[in-house]
Amino acid sequence: MSLLWLRVAILLYGIAALAVLPAALYDRPHWRHIAIPATVAAVLFHFVSLAEMLNVAHHRLPVDTHETQTLLGLLLAIAFLVVYWRYRTVSLGVFILPICFLLGLVPAFHPGQENTAFPMVHTGWIFLHVALLLAAYAALLISLLASLLYLIQERRLKQKSPALPWLPPLETPLEVLDQIALKALLFGLPCMTAGLLIGSLIAQVTVGASYFRDPKILFAFALWLAYIAMIYIRRAAGLRGRRAVYLSSFVFFVVLAVWAANQFSAVHRFTAP
Amino acid sequence: MNQSKPKTTQGRLVLLGINHITAPIEVRERLAIPSARLADATRSLLHQPGIREGLILSTCNRVELLTLQDDNETAQSQAKTDLLRFLHEYFAVPPHDIQPHLYEFQEREAVRHLFRVASSLDSMVVGEPQILGQVKESYTIAREVGAVSTQLESLLQRTFTVAKKVRTETQIGSSSVSIASVAVDLAQKIFGSLQGKTVLLVGAGKMSELAARHLIERGASSILVVNRTESRAEKLAADFASPNVHTEAVPFDALYEHAPRADIVITSTGAPQKIFGRSHGQHFLHARRNRPMFFIDIAVPRDVDPRMNEVEGCFVYDIDDLQQVAAANLADRSREAAAAETIVSREVDKYHERLQSRDAVPAIKALQQQAEELRQAELARSQSKLADLTPQQREAVEALTRSLTAKLLHPQLTALREATRPKDPE
Repeated sequence: MSLLWLRVAILLYGIAALAVLPAALYDRPHWRHIAIPATVAAVLFHFVSLAEMLNVAHHRLPVDTHETQTLLGLLLAIAFLVVYWRYRTVSLGVFILPICFLLGLVPAFHPGQENTAFPMVHTGWIFLHVALLLAAYAALLISLLASLLYLIQERRLKQKSPALPWLPPLETPLEVLDQIALKALLFGLPCMTAGLLIGSLIAQVTVGASYFRDPKILFAFALWLAYIAMIYIRRAAGLRGRRAVYLSSFVFFVVLAVWAANQFSAVHRFTAP
Repeated sequence: MNQSKPKTTQGRLVLLGINHITAPIEVRERLAIPSARLADATRSLLHQPGIREGLILSTCNRVELLTLQDDNETAQSQAKTDLLRFLHEYFAVPPHDIQPHLYEFQEREAVRHLFRVASSLDSMVVGEPQILGQVKESYTIAREVGAVSTQLESLLQRTFTVAKKVRTETQIGSSSVSIASVAVDLAQKIFGSLQGKTVLLVGAGKMSELAARHLIERGASSILVVNRTESRAEKLAADFASPNVHTEAVPFDALYEHAPRADIVITSTGAPQKIFGRSHGQHFLHARRNRPMFFIDIAVPRDVDPRMNEVEGCFVYDIDDLQQVAAANLADRSREAAAAETIVSREVDKYHERLQSRDAVPAIKALQQQAEELRQAELARSQSKLADLTPQQREAVEALTRSLTAKLLHPQLTALREATRPKDPE
């Protein structure tokens, strides 16, 4: 049943992803009336599906890559709705909604088969560790996308030509995009810090000090430092536009590296086929 | 043919008026009615012979009388003369001064014209948003004095729906077409809300003042004025002063020191050389920790070096750039206006269809009732012959006669509906 709900959610994300294009790029505000309700409905179906899936299979813990992907998709969709509620803008949906669609697509047709034998799986701490880190990743992605949209809008305003088909006008003002980018980062920092702290405490209790010599874990702490450095630079220098995109992209690649490092980690692998 | 149409009971819709296309300002201003006198004028219009309902729309670009009149031969020929007399008597303008500029629309064409006016398709600047508010104001006044009741009420409600539909389904009103409003739009694309923003006015000029006023209207809260003549700067600053707006006259020598405080700079000096160069832009941005700055350069020759636009965070628009955006917006509006015209035509058809089918209802009902009475009478006449039938057989006979009546009536009812459906005016 959870797969059916997920498929419905994916379909709704697809509809929202298409409807958001005219609303964000061609100043057709009535398309929001499709994009936003479709996203809200998709989030509800997605949540029900995920809750059912985790409850049945893994005691409320996303273990499988597909499940983690699904949870990240859900967090991104929620973030999009929060941004819409706060700033009344749908521009971010141009990127986020297709990402939500793609993140859910594979799990909707190839559900995860892996399980876990991790001893602390029954505690809520592990779930909190995973969810907080995914929320930080989602915040970072939102910040990167907002910076990217800032760059597009800036180019568009500097070009002055009103009809460049490859660079359509955005409905979101520059300062709003800048606010979204910075506030997303500021939201992500406590999430990442708490997520890492919880993870470290669990690791200390279950594995011991050797856990902290693993490349995956070292990468994760490097990411945390990069994250703090990025926030400091952005705030201190008022970094915007091109340079902000470069910086956010760099940190985002670190995130991807941390994610990928799971494959090479000796201690941070909990799944059992 | 006309006598058989229910139009006789509904009245005749007549619209008479002048607008910016048919009449020069000298004529329009003689007929203009201030909103304080609109109720009185509407009351007078309603007292004219043959007028059942009426509404007056008076704006700077048009004066129009929308009336629902008695629909008989004499009234039809008198309609225009009566309205002309009303204009002549009420405004004390000789008929021959008005007549050459008047246009008249009746029935379907009057509906179309009203839809077009409310949708801003007949405005001087197509897509301008004020006209719908003005139509609504006229409607409210007419309603208050009892000049709008049944048919005009439904027509005006439909008009508001059509105007709203045109606004939401097309982009007719989304782009600004004056230099000042283009500048404000661009500022909003950069800063979003202009609440709390600071505007620096360098030099003085009508257009820059207008742009500054537009910015204040949208929330800018601080105006700095710089002029080579300090007294002029002080006077201009005083002009902008209000409880919500902080104003300050800045000496010309302190221009570069104060410029980084401004989010928006409007320049319109007569200086032969550039006042702001690229390096100034870099310096300002550094001082503002990269917060964007918008330069609106209305001066000719230009006050701002166009290369400043290359500085990240600086946006420079000169008069040509602004005009280019305004012209493009105007072109966009023309394109959207075509789409809006299609909506209006469709809505006029729908409105008439509804009106006409409403006219056909009494005739259809009468025909159906007559047929039913005949059926009942025939059944009663054959009562004795049907006495032996079982209840099921009686029911079958009932159904059979009902079905026969319906089938016999069908072509006539269809013809009746067709006859009342709007026809091509040709």
